[in-house]
Amino acid sequence: MTETQARPTGVAPRLVGTSVPRKEDLALLTGTARFVDDIRLPGMVHARILRSDVAHARVRTVDTAPALEVPGVLDAMAGAELVGKVKPWGDLMQDLLVGDHFPFATDKVLYQGQELAAVVAETPHQAWDGCEAVRVELEELPAVVDPEEALSPTAPLIQEQILYEFGEGNVFDRYKVRVGDFAAAEAEAAVVVRQRFATNKQAGAALEPHGCVADYDSFTGVLTLYSSTQSIYMVRDVLADVLQIPRTKVRVLVPAVGAGFGSKAQIFAHEVIASLFSMRLGRPVKLMLPRADVFRAGTTRNAQVHYAELAMAADGTITGYRDYIVHNTGAMSVWGNQVVHIGTNVGMLPYAIPNVHVDSDIVHTTTAPGGPLRGFGIPQAIWVKEQLVDMAARELGLDPLAVRERNVIDPAEFPYRTPMGHVIDSTSIKRCLQTCADAIGWDAPRAPYEGKGLAVSMKYTSARHPSLDTDLSAVRLRLETDGTVTIYSSDVSHGQGHATMLAQIVADGLGVGIEKVSLAPPDSMTAPFGLGTYASRGAAVLGTACRLATQRLRDKVLAIAAHVLEVAPEDLDTGNDRVFVKGLPDTGIYLEIIAATAAYRTHQLPPGFEPTLEAVATYDTPTEREAPDGRGNLSVTYSGAAHAAHVRVDPDTGRITVLDYAMAHDTGTVINPLIVEGQHHGGFAMGLGMVLSEDYVYDEQGRLLNASFKDYLAVTATDVPELSKTVEIPAPSTMIPGGQKGAGESGTGPVPAAIGNAVFDATGIRFTTLPITPQRMLVALREKERRGVETLRYPDDMPDFRGPRQHTDWPSPVASDADLDLDFDWEDD
Amino acid sequence: MRPFTWLTPETTEEAVALLRAHGEGARVIAGGQTLLLAMKERLVGPSHLVSLARITDLAGITTEPDGALVVGAATTYAALTRAELPGWQRRLSEVAGDLADRPVRNRGTIGGALCAADPRFDMPAFAVGVDAELRISGAAGERALPAHEFLVDAGRTALGQDEILTAVVLPPLPTWDVVVFEKFRHRVFDAAIASAVCALRREDHGVPASLRITVAGATPTPTVVLVDAAADGAAAAESAVAAVRLDSSDEATRYRRELVHTLVRRVVDRAHAQQGSV
Ligand SMILES: Cc1cc2nc3c(=O)[nH]c(=O)nc-3n(C[C@H](O)[C@H](O)[C@H](O)COP(=O)(O)OP(=O)(O)OC[C@H]3O[C@@H](n4cnc5c(N)ncnc54)[C@H](O)[C@@H]3O)c2cc1C
Repeated sequence: MTETQARPTGVAPRLVGTSVPRKEDLALLTGTARFVDDIRLPGMVHARILRSDVAHARVRTVDTAPALEVPGVLDAMAGAELVGKVKPWGDLMQDLLVGDHFPFATDKVLYQGQELAAVVAETPHQAWDGCEAVRVELEELPAVVDPEEALSPTAPLIQEQILYEFGEGNVFDRYKVRVGDFAAAEAEAAVVVRQRFATNKQAGAALEPHGCVADYDSFTGVLTLYSSTQSIYMVRDVLADVLQIPRTKVRVLVPAVGAGFGSKAQIFAHEVIASLFSMRLGRPVKLMLPRADVFRAGTTRNAQVHYAELAMAADGTITGYRDYIVHNTGAMSVWGNQVVHIGTNVGMLPYAIPNVHVDSDIVHTTTAPGGPLRGFGIPQAIWVKEQLVDMAARELGLDPLAVRERNVIDPAEFPYRTPMGHVIDSTSIKRCLQTCADAIGWDAPRAPYEGKGLAVSMKYTSARHPSLDTDLSAVRLRLETDGTVTIYSSDVSHGQGHATMLAQIVADGLGVGIEKVSLAPPDSMTAPFGLGTYASRGAAVLGTACRLATQRLRDKVLAIAAHVLEVAPEDLDTGNDRVFVKGLPDTGIYLEIIAATAAYRTHQLPPGFEPTLEAVATYDTPTEREAPDGRGNLSVTYSGAAHAAHVRVDPDTGRITVLDYAMAHDTGTVINPLIVEGQHHGGFAMGLGMVLSEDYVYDEQGRLLNASFKDYLAVTATDVPELSKTVEIPAPSTMIPGGQKGAGESGTGPVPAAIGNAVFDATGIRFTTLPITPQRMLVALREKERRGVETLRYPDDMPDFRGPRQHTDWPSPVASDADLDLDFDWEDD
Repeated sequence: MRPFTWLTPETTEEAVALLRAHGEGARVIAGGQTLLLAMKERLVGPSHLVSLARITDLAGITTEPDGALVVGAATTYAALTRAELPGWQRRLSEVAGDLADRPVRNRGTIGGALCAADPRFDMPAFAVGVDAELRISGAAGERALPAHEFLVDAGRTALGQDEILTAVVLPPLPTWDVVVFEKFRHRVFDAAIASAVCALRREDHGVPASLRITVAGATPTPTVVLVDAAADGAAAAESAVAAVRLDSSDEATRYRRELVHTLVRRVVDRAHAQQGSV
């Protein structure tokens, strides 16, 4: 796993590849890390948002005047007064002509939890009193919770203000893939398996709620926003645009962040509201979201309905995949439509499927906004495709392991381009598959009610998003005058351990002790422009920028040392905080001296050397834009993941226990195995929640029934089995200079499918909907016993199932191939 | 939360007087593990909180001459877990040690759980299951009620506004030979979806003389199921399912019915299989 490289004796061993304990941990473990809610600025006041309790309604009145009478209340606002003064947003990432987001609902409420008004007061409780005093009249409209109902011509229209490309209706966007010829593959296949699958709406459930402190300086006109976010520049740029002020007048700073998982990867209304209040009052304003608000108004994993088909030849070769995906993006969503693009494109891996035909209708419902969440559509795609693989293997009487061994990418030569367009620069996925299957004893007989399941995936390492043609990160380094190094980056670390990972890269590259390297907090006034932390991009994209900046800084250091020592730079090396002549590591000049020289004794510098020691580097991945047929190499490299699950089902309670779980990953060159293993374990836990317990439960009026950690069944430590079988089989990336690949999300993708397949193996029940709760499990078992059948689909074979049970009854895509006909009217269809 | 006045009486009489003096706006607070959560969300907003923390008589466990175990209402789960109790009464410690999480057990009390009367909590099920008696102090004096009469409906008890639950009295050891408790919950700290208690008394030669089965979680208050003392798990489970009358055919109800069946079968079979006073 460690890059082996000859190095001079006496030089500290390389840190990249070693489990350096995280620099972040001491503060986190001792409770001294400072989060947004720990910020207390002089004169700070507190805001609270009044949110709609109904899901879909016409706004008749929002009268904030009574709130102003409440003791302690300083100001209040609602939507109407802001129209024409602040700019809607949402267009940047969605390719919309105009934004669909606004700080408050103005004429319509689109989901429960949408902002109606806000109040700012001396204390949080007075602000709450003020919210209670706001007079609201809403005229409730029918809710649309089910994404397939949203497609019906008779469904209530949700977004009335926006004219979409596809005419009136709840279709927000469409997506399609046309690779090869699925119809031909279907005709020639030995078997075509078909199944409808529905995935769940999972919460980000970051422990730290969303929140911010806005601090407007009325003298300089600079608005400083401290926020719990994953991306300072996306927040800054959108916020400045919304407020119509120059970007130089908005400064976004991020203290410690208690995770995001994708749920903090955009700007939110509360950040705009706090800013507006601070600008109006000239005082710092804190706005922390209560947990229920985070559930209702944060972003969630997009729920999807798939009508999926997989064609397989008699020898087990996968020859085609067809899918119609109804993608629920909630009432509005900044990133939501992107999830189906990338989730599908990358979700076809780790197979090189020659014929792929996918249509997707991306619809609005009156539910919480959908968006990115650990895996960005891939866990959904893998849940569907990997179960179809098992179904096809069983129909052909083949071993699911053997079928996967036959199909996973294992080319004779790299780079290898798949029919879908991915350029695979390296992979060990086949060995990962065999290793994890062996680890749980795939071939051993199963006890009653026990079963084993496999799933494989490949996760992108960052991505060029179809509607955002960029994939860059940047690092600036400064060798300080005492020989310490400061790293500036705008890619917020919210659990990824950037302070450690980047310091390892710098320490190795510059020969400086890791204790001398620090990461500055993300600050848009000082950090170089970067996109933020999401999409498993930290180690590979930000890490590469850091590596480049380190090389540039090293070159400068060597130039000074060469001048002082009167040798050629090529004859010098670095290590132990020194620059020395190669082979003489115990001599040389301390970096401290060189740095001080560059700043304070500039006449000693080489002629023409520009003083001070800073270096900046930006890395934009050499990725492709998505082609109209869905093809494209959207990601610079891909991390393989093969998972094997061994489960037991309690036939009396329906509880599913994961007895054993093996994960074999290819994360390329691992910078810090401790961090990467932690990411895999956390990724597994989120996958476990997705498959066994987590979901947004709505009633028919669109009210969320489980908006608290008491009722929302997020996974906890005791639910996670011993994950002692987590191994890396590295195939270093050849695209990324250091060989690393993304780590943060590969642990999630295969989990639902591996466990779903294991549950089928244990019980003969194929779950086609998520999550597989004990309730569903037991009711399905009883139904199976009642019927005396060998296998059963849940819920498709249940007596009260209302959806299409057979392939012949499946709906066709609303979009189909008629996309380009702008007059297309589906009412006549 | 809304502002409130914090009162710390040192005797039960004083506490009762405070409840009376401040009327509807006054609430008893024991561990606060139910009440504070509701106050935080502004679901309730008492003007006065009468804390039981300083009333020393209300916390702790004593044994009456007849062997009845008197558990102060303000005894925390943590204290119950540490107590060394004889025979089947030990089940109280085990139940207290296997609910919620450590911070909640350090504060939450047996009396608070009974007064909260949440059908999914463990102590109401256990108290009805072993036929405990609840002691109450009020302005009108003292009274006692069997646990199943104390629990009136989900979230509702027989307590008057100015009454305080002072103790939970477990019957003397000879009342039961074996007590078994089982529950089903999603996560380790979640309240139970369903729970069941089996209390079994045998005659001298070991023949079952009395079998008390209690089912909770699935119904608004714990349900005592009448069965023949010799009933085995399967038979008792059938009776229990009939008794809880979960007739609706929706999936959640069907599931509760199944759980009641499973849990009752398990507690009864386990009870019959155990010997001595356990
Ligand atoms: C995270 C979490 C997990 C939990 N899991 C479980 C679980 O698994 N099983 C379970 O059974 N419970 C569970 N609970 C609930 C917990 O057991 C109850 O919150 C606790 O028992 C209530 O006791 P308390 O002393 O905190 O009551 P308080 O919150 O102080 O009071 C509750 C109610 O009873 C009243 N009251 C309290 N004491 C008296 C008294 N002596 N006389 C008159 N009125 C009184 C109060 O006025 C209030 O209305 C959980 C709670 C939490 C927060």
